[in-house]
This record gives sequence, structure tokens and C-alpha cells, in this order.
Amino acid sequence: MKKLVVGLLVLVFFHGLGELGVKWLGLEVPGQLLGMILLLVVLSLNNPLLMWLESASSQLIRYIGLLFVPVTTGAFFLSPEVGAQFPQIAAVLIGSTVVAQWFMGLLIGAVSKPNE
Amino acid sequence: MNEVLIQQWQLVAGSSWPLLLSVVGFIVGLWIYNRSGKVSLLHPLLIATPLIYLTLNLIELDFNLYYQGNGLLNWLLGPATVALAVPLSQQLRQLPALFKPLSIALLLGGLFATLIALVMVKLFGLNDTILLSLAPKSVTSPIALGLVEQLGGITGLLAVATMVTGLAGIVVAKTVFQLTGVVDERWQGFILGVTAHAIGTAKAFETSPRCGAFATLGMGLNGIWTSLFLPVAVGLFVS
Repeated sequence: MKKLVVGLLVLVFFHGLGELGVKWLGLEVPGQLLGMILLLVVLSLNNPLLMWLESASSQLIRYIGLLFVPVTTGAFFLSPEVGAQFPQIAAVLIGSTVVAQWFMGLLIGAVSKPNE
Repeated sequence: MNEVLIQQWQLVAGSSWPLLLSVVGFIVGLWIYNRSGKVSLLHPLLIATPLIYLTLNLIELDFNLYYQGNGLLNWLLGPATVALAVPLSQQLRQLPALFKPLSIALLLGGLFATLIALVMVKLFGLNDTILLSLAPKSVTSPIALGLVEQLGGITGLLAVATMVTGLAGIVVAKTVFQLTGVVDERWQGFILGVTAHAIGTAKAFETSPRCGAFATLGMGLNGIWTSLFLPVAVGLFVS
């Protein structure tokens, strides 16, 4: 329980740091992404912080679906104009995903040696 | 500094009872999903959100009021994004001699996944708002959401777009792997993570923990990589 609270506070701290950093440096990335990168850098220094973060981060990621409920509900309130274009939108999404996977499959065949 | 803190606090402070609708809806969705034996098309979000939509109509609650009332959940997406650094860091530590091919696959694959989507948006004659909303669709949702807010797209549309992308990714992956001869499950995982984010990663964990670990790696690294080039890439396509 202690680890969960401390871990959550550390995550909130890095989120805040990211938001401030983006504003101060005038970067074109979301604040939470900068926070994530900063935390990644700190953790890569083989920091004992990792031990304190495991519980909070795994719980948060496990139930991340809940955090998406409000924004996904917003999909039912899109304008009729957007709704009318949904067949094209779906075609773009499905088509581009298939082509991207196929491209990566070929690319990996070219750059990787089997059983390396 | 104050400005940023006040902004964050206002988001949280707007929370009120509509948050309960989300929680109850999600619990129902999770329950049905687990009872179904985790069928992808019964994803908790696909069950929870229509239920909430119907409820909002029934009690005649405006969507914007509902959304504001969920401030705490929206705010928590920030720390949840930061939390992705933890599994990513764990996987990076075990990164073996695959560093070079992995980097090439990430840099070119991630870039291609976005560019092909932007090209197709143009081919289908969709407008700029839709382009901005779909652009980060291969990226894991918490990061993608931040990107769309920054670009000025529609978050509700992005939410559907990432869902459709993830589901499409796991449905076709097996066939694509066969056709392109990707048999190594580490690479299969990596492709799933880069092109189909969290939904692909969950699928990869069904194959093996190793496959899942590489999907986690692909998802996290592509989230960072795409965020860096996206503003430039999008700039080339908006009219």
C-alpha cells in the first residue's frame, strides 16, 4: 500500500515536471510524454526508484481502459458530418494498418538474420 | 508555473457524480468481457460506452457536463502515460544484440505507419480536422490523446480510430506474418506493438511472454518516436 501511494506520487511528480518542461522549453510534445521520457532516463540510470514504481504503474496500466471511458463515449457525439464519412475513415484505418504491418514484415525480413 | 498547476487542478476539481457512470459502465464492460473468455470484440470499452451513451440520453444529461464531471479520470491519463516508462525500462534493460535491426524497424516502420495513413486520408478526400484526429492512430491511446489535443483534432474520433486500428491489427496480423515470412515471435510482437499499440500488445502476450515483451517495447518506443516526427509529418499534409 505504501509503495502504491509513493509510486503514484512519483508518477504525478514526473507528469507535472513534463507539463512544466514543455511549457518552459516551448516543445511540441504533450507534457505527459516528456514526463514519461524523463522517468525513462532516470530509470535507465539503474535507479532503485523502479522498485517503488512497479506496483503503482502496473495497477494504473491494468485499469487504463477505465480512463478512456469518457473520451470514447465522446465518439457517440461526433458531428453528423464526421459520422457520414465514417466508411472512408474506417477504410483508411484498416487499410493503413494492414499495409504498415506488411511493410514492417518485409523490412524485418531484410534487416534481421534468423535465429540471431 | 502557477498557470500549469491551476490548469491541472481545474481538471480534477471539475469531477462530480457523472464519474460514477463511467466506473459502473466499465465494471459492467469488464465483467462481460471476462465472462466471454476475453473476446476482442467484447472489449470493455465497446460495452461500457454505448451503455453510458444510452444512459445519458435517458437521464437527459449533456455530454459536456458528463465529460467535465469525469475530470479525475481524464487527468489520471497523464500519470498513466508516465507509468508506461516502467515496463518500457524493464524491457530496455534486457535488450539484447538486436539493437540495430530493432532501431531500423522502429524508425522506418513507425514513420511508414503514420505516412501511409496520412496519404490514405488525402486519397479518400477527408478534411484536415479528420486528418489531425487520425494522425497518431498507431500510437498507444494515452500518448495519442495528448498528441490530438495538441494538434487540434477531435479526441472522440481518435478514440474510435485507435480502437479500430488495434482491432484491425490483431485480426490481420497472423496472415501478414505468414505472407511476409515473419516466424520469430519476438519480431511478431514488435510489429504488433508498433502498428496496433496496446490491443496488439495484449494479443502478443497471448502468444508468449517474450512476444508480449517485444510488443511492449515496440509500443513504447513508437509512442516516443511518432510524437517527435508527427508535427512535421502532419505539416506536410494539411492544406
